Amino acid sequence: MTPEFILGCIILIIGVIAAGFPRPMTYLGRLISLEIPGFGLLLIMLAYDEMLALLTFIGVTAISTFVLVRAIERKEAAE
Amino acid sequence: MIAIYLVAALAVFAAIRATVEKNTGRKLPYVNVMNFAIAGTIVLLLNHPLALVAAAAYFVGSTLEANAIASTYAGGEQRG
Amino acid sequence: MDDLLVLLFAAVALIGAVSAHLQRDRFGKLIAVGIVFGGIAPFIAARGYLDVLIAVSLIVPVTTIIILLICRRDAHDA
Repeated sequence: MTPEFILGCIILIIGVIAAGFPRPMTYLGRLISLEIPGFGLLLIMLAYDEMLALLTFIGVTAISTFVLVRAIERKEAAE
Repeated sequence: MIAIYLVAALAVFAAIRATVEKNTGRKLPYVNVMNFAIAGTIVLLLNHPLALVAAAAYFVGSTLEANAIASTYAGGEQRG
Repeated sequence: MDDLLVLLFAAVALIGAVSAHLQRDRFGKLIAVGIVFGGIAPFIAARGYLDVLIAVSLIVPVTTIIILLICRRDAHDA
């Protein structure tokens, strides 16, 4: 039980609550809240010394954020 | 030896101060103070040559992020 | 990295995480996400993965700037 693992679990739980029930119930608020469990998972991967998994996870998170931003932009343009 | 504790306490103070501030424009200087403190911590934590490069990368990245938020906040208010 | 430093940086990360949930403004939320990353960056450095820290601290601001594109569009409409 390293401190990274405990802090990662706490941030992951807070982030899951924040992404599941965002305060302003909009797509943008949920997308910003989705960053927080990513950081919690990053700390848990750090506690197990999985360096390559950490780098891959951060890169894929950036690309999937770009895809989601394009999707939200298209949805708001259609309305 | 006392320097790293001082810088860490400064980071905690700046994070609290940035959180309790209501105005968004006044939050950003405190976030910058916290970023400077974190960059100083990364240098003081390890005796490794790459720590300097890592602190410089963190400094550049976080300053760019805070300036991008400030630029969008100011531009969005004028245009809207 | 001793216990006091772990406690201080964990406090920074937890303040950011709770604040990101409670903020209602979208710029406030983005600033709180920046505070969370500031809290966890010394943990990556203390483990000795400095090259990972360089890569992560250059990718995370790019993610924030990508989200800012839609913030500007939203403010322009409203």
